[in-house]
Amino acid sequence: MFEPFQLPFVQRGLVEILILAIPAGLLGTWIAMRGLAFFSHAVGTAAFPGLVLADGLGFAAPLGAFGAAIAFTAGAALLRGRRNDDDAVVALVLVGCLAAGVILASDVFGSGSNVETLLFGSLLLVDGGDIRLAALAAAAALVASLLIGQHWLRSGFDPTLPDSSGPSARTFDAILLGLVALAVTAALTVVGALLVAALFLVPAVTARMLTQRLVSWQLLSIALVALEGTVGLWLSVETDAPPGATIACVAGGTFVLVAAGRALRRTPRAAVAAAALGALALLAAGCGSAGGDPGKVDVVATTTQLGDFAREVGGEAVEVDQILEPNSDPHDYEPRPSDVEGAAKAEVIFVSGDDLDAWIGEIVSDSGSDAEVVDLGAEVPVRLPGESSGEEASRYDSHWWHDPRNAEAAVRGIGRALIAADPSQRQTFKRNARAYLAKLRALDRGIAKCIDSVPPARRKLVTDHDAFGYFAQRYGVEVIGAVIPSQTTQAQPSAQDLSELAKTIEAEDVQAIFPESSLSSKVADAIANQTGASADYTLYGDTLGPEGSDGDTYIGMEKANADAMVRGFTGGERGCSPSS
Amino acid sequence: MQPEQLIEARELAAGYEGRPAISGVSFALRAGERMALLGPNGGGKTTLLRALLGELPPLTGELEVRARCATVPQTERSQLDYPVSALDVAAMGSLSRLPWWRRPGRRERASALAALERVGLGDRAGETFGELSGGQRQRVLIARSLVQEARILLLDEPFSGLDRPSSESLEALIGELAGEGRALMIATHDLEQARRSDSVLCLNRRQIAAGPPEQALTLEVLEATYGGTIVELPGSEHRAILPPHHHHH
Repeated sequence: MFEPFQLPFVQRGLVEILILAIPAGLLGTWIAMRGLAFFSHAVGTAAFPGLVLADGLGFAAPLGAFGAAIAFTAGAALLRGRRNDDDAVVALVLVGCLAAGVILASDVFGSGSNVETLLFGSLLLVDGGDIRLAALAAAAALVASLLIGQHWLRSGFDPTLPDSSGPSARTFDAILLGLVALAVTAALTVVGALLVAALFLVPAVTARMLTQRLVSWQLLSIALVALEGTVGLWLSVETDAPPGATIACVAGGTFVLVAAGRALRRTPRAAVAAAALGALALLAAGCGSAGGDPGKVDVVATTTQLGDFAREVGGEAVEVDQILEPNSDPHDYEPRPSDVEGAAKAEVIFVSGDDLDAWIGEIVSDSGSDAEVVDLGAEVPVRLPGESSGEEASRYDSHWWHDPRNAEAAVRGIGRALIAADPSQRQTFKRNARAYLAKLRALDRGIAKCIDSVPPARRKLVTDHDAFGYFAQRYGVEVIGAVIPSQTTQAQPSAQDLSELAKTIEAEDVQAIFPESSLSSKVADAIANQTGASADYTLYGDTLGPEGSDGDTYIGMEKANADAMVRGFTGGERGCSPSS
Repeated sequence: MQPEQLIEARELAAGYEGRPAISGVSFALRAGERMALLGPNGGGKTTLLRALLGELPPLTGELEVRARCATVPQTERSQLDYPVSALDVAAMGSLSRLPWWRRPGRRERASALAALERVGLGDRAGETFGELSGGQRQRVLIARSLVQEARILLLDEPFSGLDRPSSESLEALIGELAGEGRALMIATHDLEQARRSDSVLCLNRRQIAAGPPEQALTLEVLEATYGGTIVELPGSEHRAILPPHHHHH
C-alpha cells in the first residue's frame, strides 16, 4: 500500500506538499478570516503574464510568476486604498493581468507552450528549486504569523481599535497580501493557479468547522493540508490521475464529509457511517495497479504517432508506454504519475522534439531515468522552418510526421535504438521495420497519386492551426492560412487575423476549411459560414484518432487526411479511399 | 470644586478633505459625566467621535482631549465568525501599549481577565465572542476599553438591539464606570436614555444644543436636531419623531 512513497519523484512531491502545508494552512486561516479568498485565487491566475514573460525572455518561471503576483498585489492594494469594494478592485486588476498575458502570449512571443503547464503545475515534477521556494514561503509565513499575527487578527476584527505605535495596520495588511502572493507562487508548481484554493482555502474552511480558536484552527489547517496532500498524492499514484486535481478532490471530499458530519451531529452514528463510506470509496478507487512485463524492452513514446511506430517496429518484443492519449493536445499536457514511473523503468524514450513535447524533459530528469532519449525529430530529412517569432527551440515546424519520408526516417531511428537496447531481438526488429517501411512507401505513393488527380489550382488548404506544412509541401498543396495563425494551439486569433483569413478564402476561392479532430471546430465553422466554404472534413493534426476511428494508426491517419482533403478540394465529388 | 475637564471643544469644526461635516461644536466633558450624543444618521456623530480619537484634526476651533479615549463599537456581523474568546477580544486592548512584535502575554491576559470580571463576565472569559449575547458582547468591548486604560469611553449605540434586562444592566454598568471617574460619551437614538444621562449634545451638522437634558432637550432643539416633526404621543411622556423623508404608512 505504501510502495508509491518509495519512488523518488513521489518522495520529492511528498516533501514539497508537507512543506507547503505550513504556509497554506497558516495563511489559509487568514485568507478565510480576512475575506481574501478571491484575492488568493486571483493572485495565482494573475501570475500568467509573468510566466509568459519568463518563458519568452528566458528567465526562471517562479521569478516571473512572483513578480507578476507582487505587481498584482501592489495594484490591488493601491486601488483598494481609494475604494472599499475589494472584490471589484481585485477583479479589475486580474482582468488587466490576464489580458496582458494573452496579448503577450499570442502576439509578442507567439508561443505559450510552457505557460499552461505552469498554470496547472505538477507535484510530480518538483525540483530542488521548488522545494527551496516552498521552504522560504513556509519560513516567512511562520515568522510573520508569530510576530505580527496579532495585528492581522486585530485589524480584521476591529479596524477602529488603535494599534501599537510601530508600523501601521496598512503595512501589516500589505505584508499579509505579499505573503499570500509568495506562498501561492510557491504552490503554482504543485497544483497550478486554478487549484490553489484546494490548498489554501478548502482545508482552512474545513478545519474552521471543527474548532473555535485561532491557534487550534491554524494547527488543524496545517495538519489537514499535509494529510490531504499526502492522501491525494498517494491516490494519484495508485489511480494514475493528475496529482493536483486529485488533491483538490480529496480536499473537497473532506470538506463535504465534515460538513455532512456536522449536519448529522445529532446522529453521530450516521456521520461515522458516512465518513467510513467515503473512506472506503477512496480506498476502492485506489486499488488496482499494473505491473511491467519481464523480458520485453520497456519503451516510452511521447506522442500517439511515435507510439504507433514503436509498436509496429517492436511488435511482441517491446512494451510501449505511450504518454499522450488520442485527441489530447501535445502542446499542453499535465504529466501523470504513470508517465514518471514509465520513464523511470524505460530503457528507451522516443521524443518527437522541436518543443512539441518539451514537457518530457522534466519527466525524464525527475524520474531519475537513465534511459536512452531518442529525439526522432532531429533525425528526419525534411525540415521546414518554424515560426518567425518565438524561441530558438521551435526553429523547425514540429509536425514533421505528416511527410511519410520523415516517418520512414523515424522508423529507421526507432529500429536502431531498439536493436541497441536488446541486440538479441535484432532480427525481429529489422524484419518488422522493413515490412512497415514498405507500407509507408506505398502510403506515400498512394497519397501522391490521389492528390495529383486534383487540379493544382484547387488544392488550397485552410486548417485550424498550422500543422500541415510538411504534408502540403510533399504533395503540392498550397497552404492558404490557418484559423489559429500559429504552429502551437495555444495562441488565439485576433479579429483582424480572422477577417483577413475570410477575405483570403473568398479571394482564393477556397472550397473547404478543415477543422482538426482534437480541437474545437467553433471558429472554423464560423468562418465557413461566413465565406460559404465547407467545414465538413476533419483532419488528424497533432494526434491519432481514438481506437476504432479511421485515424487510429499513423497510416490510417494520413490516408484519412488525404481523403478528407481531396473531398474538400473537389466539393465532395470524390475522395481517395476506394471504399467510399 | 468641579471635576476636571477631560474634553474641551471650542467652536470645533471637523470633516473630510477640508469640508466640515460638523461645525460650531463647543462643550466640555468632565470626569464622571455621562453625555448622550444625539443626532440623525449623517448628522456628524461619527465625525465627532473620530475627531475625539484624533483621527480627524480640527478644521477650525479648538479641541483638547486630556485623557486616553477608547471606542466601544457596535458588533459587526463579520466579528461573530471570528475564532476569538471573550478574553482574546479584551486582550486586544493591550496591543496599543505593546511593541509591535509582541503578542499579549501573561500580564496582558491577567489584566484582560480582571477587566472582564469588572464588567461581570469573569466566568465567560473562555467563551467564543460570537456566541455571547448582544449585551454580553457590549460588556466585552467595554472591558477591552478598560484594558486600553482609557478614561474616556466613546460608546456607539450601545443599547441598540438589546432586550430590556440587558439594557438596564448595561446602563447600570455605565453608571458605575462614571462613578469611578471615567467620562462616557454615548451615541444614542433613545430619547429616554438621553434624559437619564448627565448631559446631552445634539448634533445635526452643527451643534444644536449642549447641556443638562432638562434644559437642552426642548421640542425646538429636537426638531432642529432631527429635522422633522416631533409628535407628542397621547397618554404618555414619549415623543415620536417623524423624519422628513421617511413617512410611515
